[in-house]
Amino acid sequence: MSVKTATPDQTLDTLGRVCPYPLLLTKKALEKLASGQTLKILCDAPASAEDSIPRYAEKQGYSFEAVKLDDKGYWELFIKKS
Amino acid sequence: MVSTLAFTVTGLLVGGAFGFVLQRGRFCVNSAFREVLFEDYTMFRAYLLAVVVTMIGANLLEDMHWLGHFQEGAFVAGTLYRQAFVPWANIIGGYIFGMGIVLAGGCGSGILYRVGEGNLAYVFAVFGFFFGIAMTKFGFLKPVYDWTIAPERIVWKGEDTIPTLYNIIGVNKWIVITVVSAVLLVATFKGSKPFVKARKGYSWSLAGLLAGLIAVAAWWASEYYGGKARGLSFTGPLREFFLAVFFGNYQNNPAAVNPVESRSIFGMIFSWSSLYVLAVPLGAFISGKLLKEVKLKVPPADELFKVLLGGFIMGIGAQMGGGCNIGHSLTGVSTLAVSSWVATIFIILGNWTMVYFVLIRPMRALDV
Repeated sequence: MSVKTATPDQTLDTLGRVCPYPLLLTKKALEKLASGQTLKILCDAPASAEDSIPRYAEKQGYSFEAVKLDDKGYWELFIKKS
Repeated sequence: MVSTLAFTVTGLLVGGAFGFVLQRGRFCVNSAFREVLFEDYTMFRAYLLAVVVTMIGANLLEDMHWLGHFQEGAFVAGTLYRQAFVPWANIIGGYIFGMGIVLAGGCGSGILYRVGEGNLAYVFAVFGFFFGIAMTKFGFLKPVYDWTIAPERIVWKGEDTIPTLYNIIGVNKWIVITVVSAVLLVATFKGSKPFVKARKGYSWSLAGLLAGLIAVAAWWASEYYGGKARGLSFTGPLREFFLAVFFGNYQNNPAAVNPVESRSIFGMIFSWSSLYVLAVPLGAFISGKLLKEVKLKVPPADELFKVLLGGFIMGIGAQMGGGCNIGHSLTGVSTLAVSSWVATIFIILGNWTMVYFVLIRPMRALDV
């Protein structure tokens, strides 16, 4: 099952937040989650959604998937903590 | 003399291209410096690559005598504008600016291009930036500013030469450029994956390369069209843009000796570089539109306030220190002027200080 189809254990709303808060809030939320749990992040900062958050997930070795909602103008990011 | 049309179009083109590349490359010097603390060097590598490209390109332009403008039909060769070394101003201003960019959520160029992505916070940051600049240059903080840049505090090499990395050790400029480039390039590419792409944007290496090439183009064009090789910078141009829009003239005192070319556009007198301020968000908007990433958005009120304050602090620091992360840390360092290298070091230190207080410490508190 892919990361994005699993029901997220927590949803984090970072809409409107400026750099680097989307990344920072993501880190904080992930710290609180247990291994195997999934975090869903709503993010509309391109640099965070496209670059810094995926890079952080990759570095930590967490599975990551992104869905861009063009009509709404933001991304839904899914990170599964390992 | 270039026509008003050429003047306007080229100013908008250089600024627009830079905004486009910043948006595509997710390029931000604030995060480049910040992420070093979190052992992520990706954006820092892009920055270092841009510095090397700009340094080589700018000095080639200068030494091949390609830099210049036409005056009464004759080609007048120009030199790169190197900033005087005023240690107090460069150190204190750089440090304050470095702290400000963390609160503002973007550097001098970062806050401008993100206006084009539609986040209202960055409009606040840009206004704050101007308020800080204006207050330091003309208002409440002018006495402090004047003290830091007083003639007796300027440090010269010999009688009246602006100190550079090559003249203080007394070697050929190109030896220094070769050594610095080699060191920075090793740091840039060591253990890196140059072509890993952000999902839709440019890879960091392409972003760094293009940012550098545009900075070189700006060196040439600012002299050819703008009458003075100022290169790419944002502090002075942002001040000039708002002065032109608010008061009709990019200079506070129009009677002052006019150091750069200016043109009247819709009755407002703009300098060439001040057009960047309009063009960078526009270029980013075009890039963002094509990627479907532009959306009007607004952060919570407390963050909006923090961003305004951050922009204000940036403005104070940038005016005092003589430039922002582009004017000093890309354009300035490419001239090898000591002032810009010192200011850049203190911008980085200011950035790290504020990152500790607003990002690292709250994170640690959470672990307990």
